[in-house]
Amino acid sequence: MTSVLLNTLLAAGLYATMAYGLAIIYGVMRIINLAHAGVMMLGAYVAFALFTRFALDPFVSLVVVAPLFFLFGVVLYAAIGRRVAGAGATPSIESLLVLFGVWLVLQNFAYVIWTGDTQSILTAYTMKSIKVLGVRLGVPSVFVFLASVASLVFLNVLLKRTYLGKAIRAVTQNRDAALLYGVNANRISAVAFGLGSAFAGVAGAMLATLMAFTPDFGRSFLLKAFCIIVLGGMESVTGVAVGALVLAALENGLAAWTPVPTSLQDAVSFALLFVALVAFPQGLPGLFARFERRSAIR
Amino acid sequence: MKIAARLLWLAAAIFALAAPLFLERGSLNDLWNLAFAVILASAWNLLGGFAGQVSLGYSAFLGIGAYTTVLLSLKDVNPFVTLPLGALLAAVFSVVIGLPAFRLRGPYFTIATIGVAEAVRVCASTVEFTGGSSGVRMPAASFDFNTNYFAMIALAIVTVALAAWVKNSAFGVALAAIKQDIDAAEAVGVNSTRFKLAAHALSAAIVGVAGGLYAIDFQYIAPASVFDFRLSLSIVLMPIIGGVGTVAGPLFGALIVNTLQIKLLSMPALRDSFLFVYGGLLIVVMLFEPQGFVGVGRRLRRLVHA
Repeated sequence: MTSVLLNTLLAAGLYATMAYGLAIIYGVMRIINLAHAGVMMLGAYVAFALFTRFALDPFVSLVVVAPLFFLFGVVLYAAIGRRVAGAGATPSIESLLVLFGVWLVLQNFAYVIWTGDTQSILTAYTMKSIKVLGVRLGVPSVFVFLASVASLVFLNVLLKRTYLGKAIRAVTQNRDAALLYGVNANRISAVAFGLGSAFAGVAGAMLATLMAFTPDFGRSFLLKAFCIIVLGGMESVTGVAVGALVLAALENGLAAWTPVPTSLQDAVSFALLFVALVAFPQGLPGLFARFERRSAIR
Repeated sequence: MKIAARLLWLAAAIFALAAPLFLERGSLNDLWNLAFAVILASAWNLLGGFAGQVSLGYSAFLGIGAYTTVLLSLKDVNPFVTLPLGALLAAVFSVVIGLPAFRLRGPYFTIATIGVAEAVRVCASTVEFTGGSSGVRMPAASFDFNTNYFAMIALAIVTVALAAWVKNSAFGVALAAIKQDIDAAEAVGVNSTRFKLAAHALSAAIVGVAGGLYAIDFQYIAPASVFDFRLSLSIVLMPIIGGVGTVAGPLFGALIVNTLQIKLLSMPALRDSFLFVYGGLLIVVMLFEPQGFVGVGRRLRRLVHA
C-alpha cells in the first residue's frame, strides 16, 4: 500500500510537469500542441548530449535545458504559433495539423543528429535506490520528483505572484477582455509558448534519466499528458495536478493489484484519454461541479 | 472541361487495368503501391475531407482488415473471400468508436482517434492471436501477383468513383454542411451523428479491404507494421497535400507522396529525410494553401484567366 502510494506520488510529479506545458499553451492560445511530444524528445536528447559531451549531470543540466527550450518555444511561436493561434473559444484543426508537422520535423532532426538507435543516460546513481518509509525507490525517480516539485512551485509562484502570471491567467480566462485591459496578448502568448516548451524540455530531460529513448519517444507521453489535462478540465492549474495523480494512481494500482500485464498499461491510459474526452469533457472539476449542483438542488 | 476531366479519369483507369500487358513487374509494383495509396487517401477523405472530421486513427481499420484476412486464410478460407468480412469488422469497429467519439468536435475528435488507435496497437502487440511482435504469416501459395494487382486497381477505381458520387449526392451535401457549420446543419435537420457515422463506416470498410489486400501481397503482417502510427500519418498526409475535400486531391496527394518516397529512397543522402519532407509539406500546406495541390492549381488557373 505505501509502495503504491509513494510510486504514485513520484510518477504524478513527472506527469504534472509534462502536462503543464501542454495546458499553458492550450489555455492561452487554444492550440493543441502536438509538437509537445517532439519537444520532450529533444529535451531528452539535449540532456543526453550535455551528459556525454560535457559530463554534465542530467539534473544539473536542467538549468541549461529550461532556458534553452524557453527560447526555442518563443522562436517556434514567432515562426509558426503566431500564425495559427486561435482567437475563438475552440482550437482549430489547422493549428493541430501544423504543429503535427513541426513534431515530424523535430523527429527527423533527431534522427539525423543522433540516429534512430536507442540511447540512455547512465549516471553513477542510475541503478541505486534508497529506502523511504520501508519502500525501495530508485534514486533517479526521487530526483525527478524533487525537480518536478521545484518546477511546479516555480510555475505556481509565477502564475499567482507576478504581473506576468496574472496576465497569463487573464488571457487564459478571456483573451478579448485581457486585451481591453491593456494586456499585450501577443507577447503573453509568446511567453506561454516558451514556458510550455521549457516544461516539455525539462520533462523530456527527466524522462531520459528514467528510461531509454529513441527519436520516436514522446508519443505515449504526449497522450498521457493529454489524458491528464482532459481529466483536469483543460485549463485549471489544480486540475492538472489532480489529473496527474489520478493517472499515476491508476497505472500504479493496476500494476500492483491486478493481473493486467505492464505491456498493457499504456493502452489503459490511452483508453482513459478516450473515455475522459467523451464522458466528462469538462474534466474532473466539471464532474464535481455537476455533483455539487445536483446535491444543491436536492 | 467537365467532359475532358471525365475522359482523363477513364483513360487513367484503363491505363492502370491494361498496364500488365506492356509494363514489367517493377513498374506494376509501383502502380500497385500507388493504387493502395489512392484507396487509403480517398477513403480517409470521405470523412476527413468531405465532413471535416480529421481522424489520425485509420491504422486501426487497416490492421483489422489485414488481420481478418491472414487469420482466416490460416484456417483455409480463400483470402479473397475474407475481404468482405474484414470490411464489415472495420466498419463495425468504426461505429463502436464513432458513436461516442462523434460527440467531440474538431481537434478533440482528432486526439480521441489517436488515443484509440494507439490503444488498439498496444493491445494488438500484447494479445496472442496477432503473433505479438513476431507477427503472422499468410499460408504458402496464397499469392498470385496478377490477381492481387487487378483487385487493388479495381478497388482504387471503385473508391474514387464512390468519392465522386458521394461528393455530388445528398449524402455529400449533408457532409459538406456538417463540415462548414455543424450547428447550422443540425438546425436545418441534418442528423450529423448519423451522417458522420455513415461516412466513417464507409471509409473504414474500404480501408479494411485495402488492409486485406495488403496482407495478401506482403504475406506477412505484425502489429508493428499494420497498426503503426506512421500509417495513420501518411493516410492523413496524402489528401491534405493533394487537396482535402476534393475528389482529385487524394489522387494527386497519393501521387506526390509516392513519387517523393521512391525518389527519396533512391538517394542515399536523403533516405532518412521522410519526416522532414512530410512535416515540412504539412506545415507549408496548412499555413499557405489549405486546399493543397488542387488549391494551387485553382490559383494558377485564375491567374491565367485573369
